[in-house]
Amino acid sequence: MGSTEELIATLGGELRPVRRLPPPALRAAGWIALATALIAVLALLRGLRADMTAQLADPAYWVQVAGAWMTGAAATLAAFNVSLPDRSRLWLLLPAPFALLWLWGFAYGCLGDWIAIPEGAPVMADSARCLETIVMASVPMSLVLWLMLRRNRPLRPEGTAWIGALAVAGFADTAHLLIHVVEASLLVLLVNLLPATVILLVGGLVGRRPLATGA
Amino acid sequence: MPPQDADRRTSASAAAAGAPGSSATAPQSDWSALMALSQEGDRAAYVSLLQSVTPYLRALARRGGVDGAEIEDAVQDVLLTLHAIRHTYDPRRPFGPWLLAIARHRMADRLRRRGRLLARETALGEEHVTFAADETNNPERAESARRLRAAISALPAGQRQAVELLRLKELSLKEAAARSGQTETALKVAMHRAIKRLRRLLGEG
Repeated sequence: MGSTEELIATLGGELRPVRRLPPPALRAAGWIALATALIAVLALLRGLRADMTAQLADPAYWVQVAGAWMTGAAATLAAFNVSLPDRSRLWLLLPAPFALLWLWGFAYGCLGDWIAIPEGAPVMADSARCLETIVMASVPMSLVLWLMLRRNRPLRPEGTAWIGALAVAGFADTAHLLIHVVEASLLVLLVNLLPATVILLVGGLVGRRPLATGA
Repeated sequence: MPPQDADRRTSASAAAAGAPGSSATAPQSDWSALMALSQEGDRAAYVSLLQSVTPYLRALARRGGVDGAEIEDAVQDVLLTLHAIRHTYDPRRPFGPWLLAIARHRMADRLRRRGRLLARETALGEEHVTFAADETNNPERAESARRLRAAISALPAGQRQAVELLRLKELSLKEAAARSGQTETALKVAMHRAIKRLRRLLGEG
């Protein structure tokens, strides 16, 4: 490298005006609105779950749906904050209480399924459609979130990717819970975790690239 | 340079000695304003900002355990990252923590990289030193030379003298005869016998 003075002169010479990022809360709100709208569209297209009326009377169901959505929202807010250099790493913990709520409903539902899947219920058929729903929700959400977070050029790419993946998982599961009867089966768990893991891995690899400047 | 710039530089150096969050408040508000102007494309403000943060970054690097020769590289790393992500700065927030976060990340990366290098590399000792001359880098040849020297010293005195004068010192037959006090013919015979004997000693004949 040349002298620091030379570098400063070069950087000064190539300076172009930049558009400032809007505040992270605003960007998070935008993405949450987008994800929620996508959930609504999916619910309209694919129809609400057959046992919705019964589920609405079950507090555990409410807890789970609310837990999933709030995990998604909190993780989104955390992702937009933690990807900025001067925000605390503690943002990563924000989704934790909501995730506990979500998992509690999840575990509760799992136990319920174990005991109470009625004889002859179309579990396998619904599982296949459920996979579709989750992919249909996760892929566009991940794409948009990824593009938005990339603009932050995060200095902590791994944390950002991880928390972003959690946001997508929360919203995708919200869609799934509204549309499908089969809740909390092993398949759903895998389908929720797999894209998250892939995004995390890809994010870890790709997220560094924009910051390779000068390294 | 306008006087206020010089003042800013001085206060930046002074701030560098203290904790960035506390004593650096005055230059930080300047920095914040300069950064806001830089985001709008004001080159003079940008150059002034970068010059003003440089002493602070040097002090940070020194405190962070970056070695003397690497300090400038570390500072330049931070400046380049600052340049790349300058759109992420929000002028309503203090500039110091933003810059400090970038600096800490980049310097931690640098120290990690150095740690990895140190873990993989071995310091060079005398045995690793090489020379431009090809033969010094070939241990097999060195071994043959050692064997040849041993074989020569095992020759009878007359033959050894012939080899030393004619081959190692590369004298002419006449010069060798003059120096050794032997006749040229005697030297030739001794040389001939020496070669035969060396071949035998070195297992080539």
